[in-house]
Amino acid sequence: METTVKKLVTAVSASVALMGAGHAAAEIKIGVAGPITGQVAQYGDMQFSGARMAIEQINAAGGVNGEMLEAVEVDDACDPKQAVTVANRLVNEGVRFVVGHLCSSSTQPASDIYEDEGILMVTPASTSPDITERGYELVFRTIGLDSVQGPVAGNYIASLNPERVAIVHDKQQYGEGIATAVRDTLKDAGVEVALFEGITAGDMDFSSLVTKLKQADVDYVYYGGYDPELGLILRQSRQAELDAVFMGPEGVGNKNINTIAGDAAEGLLVTLPPAFDKKAENQELVKAFQDKGEDPSGPFVLTSYTAVQLIAEGIEQAESTDPFDVAASLRSNSFNTPIGTVEYDEKGDMKSFEFVVYEWHSDGSKTPVN
Amino acid sequence: MQDLLYFFQQLINGLTIGSTYALIAIGYTMVYGIIGMINFAHGEIYMIGAYTALIAITGLAALGIAWLPVILIVALVCAMIVSSSMGWAVERVAYRPVRGRHRLIPLISAIGMSIFLQNYVHLAQGSRNIGFPALIEGGFRFGSADSFQTSISYMQITIFITTLVCMTLLSLFISRSRIGRACRAVSQDLGMANLLGIDTNRIISATFIIGAALAAVAGLLLGMYYGSIDPLFGFIAGLKAFTAAVLGGIGSIPGAMLGGLILGVAESMTSGYLSGEYKDVVSFGLLILILLFKPTGLLGKPEVEKI
Amino acid sequence: MAAHNLKHALFCAIVTLVIAYPILGFNLTSSGTNIVLEGAKTHTIGLVLLAAVAVFLFQLFRDNITGLLGKAPALNPLANRQPMEQSKRLKLESTLLTLIIVGALFWPFFVSRGSVDLATLVLIYVMLALGLNVVVGLAGLLDLGYVAFYAVGAYTFALLSQYYGVSFWFALPLGALLAALFGLVLGFPVLRLRGDYLAIVTLGFGEIIRILLNNMTNLTGGPNGIGGIPDPTLFGMEFGRRVKEEGNTSFHETFGIAYSSEHKIIFLYLIALVLAVITALVIRRLMRMPVGRAWEALREDEIAARSLGLSRTAVKLSAFTIGAFFAGFAGTVFASKQGFISPESFVFLESAIILAIVVLGGMGSQMGVILAAIAVTILPELAREFSEYRMLIFGAAMVLMMVWRPQGLLPMRRIHIELKAQE
Repeated sequence: METTVKKLVTAVSASVALMGAGHAAAEIKIGVAGPITGQVAQYGDMQFSGARMAIEQINAAGGVNGEMLEAVEVDDACDPKQAVTVANRLVNEGVRFVVGHLCSSSTQPASDIYEDEGILMVTPASTSPDITERGYELVFRTIGLDSVQGPVAGNYIASLNPERVAIVHDKQQYGEGIATAVRDTLKDAGVEVALFEGITAGDMDFSSLVTKLKQADVDYVYYGGYDPELGLILRQSRQAELDAVFMGPEGVGNKNINTIAGDAAEGLLVTLPPAFDKKAENQELVKAFQDKGEDPSGPFVLTSYTAVQLIAEGIEQAESTDPFDVAASLRSNSFNTPIGTVEYDEKGDMKSFEFVVYEWHSDGSKTPVN
Repeated sequence: MQDLLYFFQQLINGLTIGSTYALIAIGYTMVYGIIGMINFAHGEIYMIGAYTALIAITGLAALGIAWLPVILIVALVCAMIVSSSMGWAVERVAYRPVRGRHRLIPLISAIGMSIFLQNYVHLAQGSRNIGFPALIEGGFRFGSADSFQTSISYMQITIFITTLVCMTLLSLFISRSRIGRACRAVSQDLGMANLLGIDTNRIISATFIIGAALAAVAGLLLGMYYGSIDPLFGFIAGLKAFTAAVLGGIGSIPGAMLGGLILGVAESMTSGYLSGEYKDVVSFGLLILILLFKPTGLLGKPEVEKI
Repeated sequence: MAAHNLKHALFCAIVTLVIAYPILGFNLTSSGTNIVLEGAKTHTIGLVLLAAVAVFLFQLFRDNITGLLGKAPALNPLANRQPMEQSKRLKLESTLLTLIIVGALFWPFFVSRGSVDLATLVLIYVMLALGLNVVVGLAGLLDLGYVAFYAVGAYTFALLSQYYGVSFWFALPLGALLAALFGLVLGFPVLRLRGDYLAIVTLGFGEIIRILLNNMTNLTGGPNGIGGIPDPTLFGMEFGRRVKEEGNTSFHETFGIAYSSEHKIIFLYLIALVLAVITALVIRRLMRMPVGRAWEALREDEIAARSLGLSRTAVKLSAFTIGAFFAGFAGTVFASKQGFISPESFVFLESAIILAIVVLGGMGSQMGVILAAIAVTILPELAREFSEYRMLIFGAAMVLMMVWRPQGLLPMRRIHIELKAQE
């Protein structure tokens, strides 16, 4: 038995040691960290697809200052614990630039490590204001904040002169954060918020909630969260003949909501970043995605593409691969990207990131309302 | 009047959910009654039933068949066949080899099976929520049109009736048929039943098949009622159903029914009068409370400690 | 017999097809706003058919195959060897343990930080599994909500540091004690429940704690979690690049060495190592004390133990509380390592994984549990190339382990006196 134990121990420690040994290469490594597995893997797909495309195109055009980009893809499954593990693994591999993570709760602990290690991180998807609140030098994002998106939605609802508004959220960082921002905006505008309530993400039965909304006789319902739950709420509201107008953030604005809610999705209001894939100047890029059989319309595809592009251009302009130099160059320059002109403030947030209110239709299309 | 209508609406919501919990709980309670193990993978069997039903419905739609009874019956039969086979296979592969070992061994095996099946469907069908067509729409409503109306949809009525029919048939089957009698014998004393010439392996397989078939019924009904399915929804529903089974007294079929209804109503009342956030706290709290005063559940038989 | 085999084999093959074909053979995909059915790729269908044929052949020739396997030399070459002498075995075991601990002390200085960080996670799991081992393995109480105590430990530290600036070293005992208190308070009413009822109640308790942490946004930050949890300090020396708290000095400046972030990682690892060793030693000691014997006695036969005058409640409660205490320990280290905690780190799956470690290692066996903790944490990391299949393989491995080696990697061996058989 003892020999077995010994063998096992040596085998295990050897394999651990092996894992750490990354191979050295002359290329610039870009870590791409997001969920490949887990419940939000579908959003991770968008992120990876955008980043891969950018790296491919940049390399095809001769790389960055003659050096090729190499992607190091890691899976955090949107689990904070795994996010820390993969962040340390990226440090190991000698990665100095990271595109990621997706979920704010993963981005937050991982960014602690990146900042400490002098790694520059650009998140294409995490919208929590907390991430850039901590005065970190190397943390950037290519997406708008909940605290920007919430007021856009709140002001829009207030402009419609509603009698009573209900706000529902999924008790997750993203959903609750944005719902709180909407509530505060509405209160400031003097609108009565009749109901502010959380649901459990992953739940399927919303009949009690819908009944409650009906009883409260609200004419607008704001939902902070993602499409699976809102799709069900819409459908179950339609069945219970609740006639309120629903509104949600970009997390609900994808075609999946139509497959669940069907006709009930007609008239849903969604705040979204402007449809980047519809912009005339992006059509070549959109075609490149379509040629690969990928869909560029997801909310995080082009933000992720932009994150890679910003890192590459930052390196070029700084003429250095030192993350601190690149960060300085990102802060001081303005960049022309598929998501528009990007300029950064001190915190690492974009100076302007626009959200547009769209009306969603039952065939999955959308039209801007203002 | 308003408040009363509201109360009734929440009651109806709760009873609907409760009766589907009961359908799933049967699988837990029967397996526990016979071999004394928690079949953690049962929720996944229910999820697979729902997926099969959706595949059948989509397939029929692609073939251009639109007559509702045909769609429902074909979907139901497909789901029951696949789920039952799954139930049988799971028992064969993961539980039979470990039967009779320490209590924890089958439980771990079951948790492993549950993780395996979840990821099996996840890999085959993706992790996304998939919309489930409603098929049965419309309903009755009560109360004046200008204020709050209580409504019962045809779907809710279908769920009540199906659950009731399934429960009645199952009770009759257990109390009257030969296999049912054998089931009861095995659940009282497996060794003795074996000595008396009952093929216990067969009876245990039958239990798994019946439980899985009922879970498939619940899968189809709930898929239509809620409106979407994903690979993880079996686990959550399974947990609730298991709680219902324990609440009512595990091993007892009327207990599963009662436990399911109580749990469903408790959940919908919490959401209705308190807040949806505390739904699960209340249902687990209720479970703990009931077990403290009645350690074998509401309708469970007090266990005699054998020496 | 052959005919029966053929029938059975056919049946099994058909069942394989029925359970695999609908789910694997058809893909539900969305085209625009509709759900449509697509046939899977040809090779998937080919694999399904192949699996059915394999099952058919295996079942058909099952007797021959098992016969052949029976003739083959035993898989475990040590199976038939004489058991080693008691004293010799104990000596060897303790030498081995010392060697491992010494190795573990120096190992981090030679490997990369990723490995050290992962090793810290392994040690946290070792602590958790050792603690749960007391509850499940020794006392035989099935606890499916163990993660609740882990959460109590982690949140105690996070909250104390956020509101009162309490440091790691003060929070460590406090977190563990508070977790133990929770164990005591919960254990008191529920421990009179038997077996599986206890399992579901503890599961419910675990969920309640998580939901409360998620809902009490004002106190715990709800789903946003708590960030900025400080790292442990060494006699007031901080390991960060900059000193965060006034009055502290920084480690690299004090010793006049260049800043390296590895110091922090290695320091945390060493803390985790020391705590894990303490956990192991304390529990090892307890196992040999009357209370440890009482746990095992109660697990083996409750009625007999009670008739010998053991108080059922006191014995069970002690196991529950001690298990919770070490979970609190592990939680504090976890919070410090992460720097950020949120309720999603404390879900049921975590409880299931800890339980799986205990069972895979061999219930009651400390060495086994440590090995299993290493295996369960590291194997998925090694198999990252198959990351999509990771959880699938994890589930299958749990089932296969239970079927083939239910006693665990290293089964527990009781110290006993053997009577020599008369020749």
